[in-house]
Amino acid sequence: MADDRHAPKLDDEFNDDDLFASAIEIKVEAKADISLEDDRSNGLSPIEEQSHNLSAADEIDLNSDSEYKDGVPDTKAKIELRSEPEDIFEDIPEPKEVHRETMAGRSTLETLVTSPRTQSCNAYHAGTMIEEEKVITAESDGKFITISVKDPQKIGDGISSFLTYNVVTHTNIGLFKKTEMTVSRRFSDFLGLHDKLAEKYLHKGRLVPAPPEKNVVGTTKVKMAGGQTEHEGKLPEFVERRRAALERYLIRIAIHPIFQVDPDFREFLECEDELPRASNTSALSGAGVLRLFNRMGETVTKIAFKMGESDPWFEERHQQLETLESQFRRLQASLEGLYSHRRELAFATAALGKGLALLSNGEDHAGLSRALAKMAELHDKLEGVHNDQSNADFYILHELIKDYLSLLGVVKDVFHERVKAFQTWQHAQQMLAKKREAVDRWEATGRSDKVAPAKDEVLEWEAKVNRSQEEFDVISKAIKKELELFDLQRVKDFKAAFISYLEAQMKAQDKIIEHWETYMPEAKAIA
Amino acid sequence: MENSNNHLDVEKKSERSETVDLNDNTLQVDISDALSEREKVKFTVHTKTTLKDFAKQDFSVVRQHEEFIWLHDRFEENESYAGYIIPPPPPRPDFDSSREKLQKLGEGEGSMTAEEFKKMKQELEAEYLATFKKTVAMHEVFLCRLANHPIFRADTNFRVFLEYEQDLSVRGKNKKEKLETFLRSFSKTTDEILLGSTQKDVDEFFDKEKSFLLDYHSLLKDATLRADKMTKAHKDVADHYIKISSCLLEMATADTNQLERFATKTADIFEKARKIENRVSTDEDLKLSDTLRYYMRDTTAAKNLLYRRLRCLADYEGANRALEKARAKNKDVHAALEVADAEWSQHQACEKFEQMSAKGKEELIDFKVRRVAAIKKNLVELCELELKHANTHSQLLKASIVALREEL
Repeated sequence: MADDRHAPKLDDEFNDDDLFASAIEIKVEAKADISLEDDRSNGLSPIEEQSHNLSAADEIDLNSDSEYKDGVPDTKAKIELRSEPEDIFEDIPEPKEVHRETMAGRSTLETLVTSPRTQSCNAYHAGTMIEEEKVITAESDGKFITISVKDPQKIGDGISSFLTYNVVTHTNIGLFKKTEMTVSRRFSDFLGLHDKLAEKYLHKGRLVPAPPEKNVVGTTKVKMAGGQTEHEGKLPEFVERRRAALERYLIRIAIHPIFQVDPDFREFLECEDELPRASNTSALSGAGVLRLFNRMGETVTKIAFKMGESDPWFEERHQQLETLESQFRRLQASLEGLYSHRRELAFATAALGKGLALLSNGEDHAGLSRALAKMAELHDKLEGVHNDQSNADFYILHELIKDYLSLLGVVKDVFHERVKAFQTWQHAQQMLAKKREAVDRWEATGRSDKVAPAKDEVLEWEAKVNRSQEEFDVISKAIKKELELFDLQRVKDFKAAFISYLEAQMKAQDKIIEHWETYMPEAKAIA
Repeated sequence: MENSNNHLDVEKKSERSETVDLNDNTLQVDISDALSEREKVKFTVHTKTTLKDFAKQDFSVVRQHEEFIWLHDRFEENESYAGYIIPPPPPRPDFDSSREKLQKLGEGEGSMTAEEFKKMKQELEAEYLATFKKTVAMHEVFLCRLANHPIFRADTNFRVFLEYEQDLSVRGKNKKEKLETFLRSFSKTTDEILLGSTQKDVDEFFDKEKSFLLDYHSLLKDATLRADKMTKAHKDVADHYIKISSCLLEMATADTNQLERFATKTADIFEKARKIENRVSTDEDLKLSDTLRYYMRDTTAAKNLLYRRLRCLADYEGANRALEKARAKNKDVHAALEVADAEWSQHQACEKFEQMSAKGKEELIDFKVRRVAAIKKNLVELCELELKHANTHSQLLKASIVALREEL
């Protein structure tokens, strides 16, 4: 639990609904907030002020809400939220969770990192996977964080070689040491980051984004490629896919208000040295085997244990997510089909171009020959356009769906964590009952020496029951919130992705028009 | 589809039929109607004429594909037409691929939604219709070329074909005849190759034409295949849009909240885009692939002409040699009959050859002009259509992006 305190969980915005009752109307903009802040304290961030209030309390329980309700004045509209997410908070009757930032050294906290996800969709849309120069930004009221993954490079040779990527971050979030940083990371570093985050947050019901998949075949190919693959153009397509996927992965972490300020994440972005090899992410390591066993065990429990669901919300959501998953799978299959057919179309167009060129050579009528030659050129250009189109199909839509499928997997995992918490709670209750029985038994048989320790045990288990019940509640609430976030994000991502896809298609059509228009006079000019 | 009779009212005279100069000698032929029955297609050949030789001025008969082939063969076999390019016969109406696809669709019905199934069925029906229209067009073009040719139109077989009201009782070739034709064509091809390599042509024009046509023909064939592949790929892309559209629709109906309208609109967009892509594919097919294919067949016909001429030349030279031999053998008078015979046959061969050469030259030049004109016309039309579709598509996308942004 100590980790909690290190990890600044500034997710106040999640639950401060009545804080926003007023703020919602205001369509809180950056200026408004800053002025509010200035009113209150000179330069001190609200969180710091808050921490002053709380300095007395060392132990901050995740669920100790009521204490702070009064402690937090409601003019503390420190959470600079845009209007959208505020809506969802209206109906979450949540107790406030307040976590103290124990970064004593960080007195220079400028502002609070708040809900960057609001802007993420626009930025997300801007950061299409196709062009590397576009960056993906998570913004919020002047605070932003931009991450891009670039320049895959092969280090070393042969079986021990690996690829590194440059992770470039631009941010003005004060928690980071600098405003711009570039570090070199390899794939296992990303996996290591995921493991750390999962360890910390998954059992609390937070949706930790899933990293891109491993790809043994592709990786081996790159390893064996004999050292001439220094230039991006020569690296296989799978590297480009992975690069784009890694970028999206980091963005998803960055837009999550909790993960954004997680120290492990920050270290990942900032630390210029090589990170310690996350060797337990490798499939064949001891940790890997352990993971495998754990997973098998969990699958068995998933099947075996049917939780008596008390909250219909979860039941409903579960259903919904199942349907969503199957729909996504179907959509993914169709998108794959579309992508491959368009690739075929591009090939066929190029082949036709060549055929026409040959025909033009064989044609003895000069005018027609020229026209045919031009048509061959035209088709070559068209091939390029079709290729672009298929890239759009793939990178914009298909990868999006794939990401969401893996996210749905994470959601399922999180649900399962809740089930586990429930199990723990039940188990604790059962133990408590047993211990109580033991006490009664000892008292009945008059063994007073055994009664005392038995009573102690009862107390111990009572505490455990309380704790596990609270944990269960916490995780349930957290899941609810996360799913709201997830839904919002999903909707935004989808809308943004489809619009960007259609825009790409439009560009392609415009290019087609251009090409045919240049050809038209040639066709007419045949004598 | 197989059991129903498809009526196709083909009134598009302006598009396909070629009219002759309007004067007393008009002979206008078109296919006014066509019926598809199980395995066969029945064409209604309609003639309008002012020529005196016909009994009536306006009449129709029903013909089947085999009868068209019969007509073509009659022309091909006619020696007096040896110097002409015989218009290539129309290809057999082929609905097999459509039928196969429909079957596959029926089998796969369980795996898709009702909407999707309906749409794919519509697609297939449209495809079937398009194939149907194409085969009608091919038959019509064949007839029109015959009708417009000054010599062919006077052919008796042609007239019988147009007029004879009852069935021509041309049965499809039975096995023996098919074997015969096959053997004949086989020997013809070998002869052709042999001639091609051994027979030297006296006329440079024909020599050049021959090598050109051989080359050109194979290039055309190649280009046609590639064009076909491209149109098919285009169609596949369009088909996939259907799937995506229906997936989105499903998601929209299942989604409880924000995505519903957005997804419905997007599904609609994909649907419209699909129609456009389909149209592009069909037009490409029509203008590009079909043109290439037609001229491929025409070049075959031209090649046949050249072959016949070469054959004729070989015969002529053979006759020459025979004459010389006869003359050499019969220095004395009473074998003069043999010499006279040989002389006469040589004379015949010579005439025939020269006639054929003259006619052939004309035909080949005409062929080139026709070819260039037709390809040009089709390329221009293709260009215009592509531009039109691309413009529509682009506008559709623009409008939809605006509409979708409202939903953001």
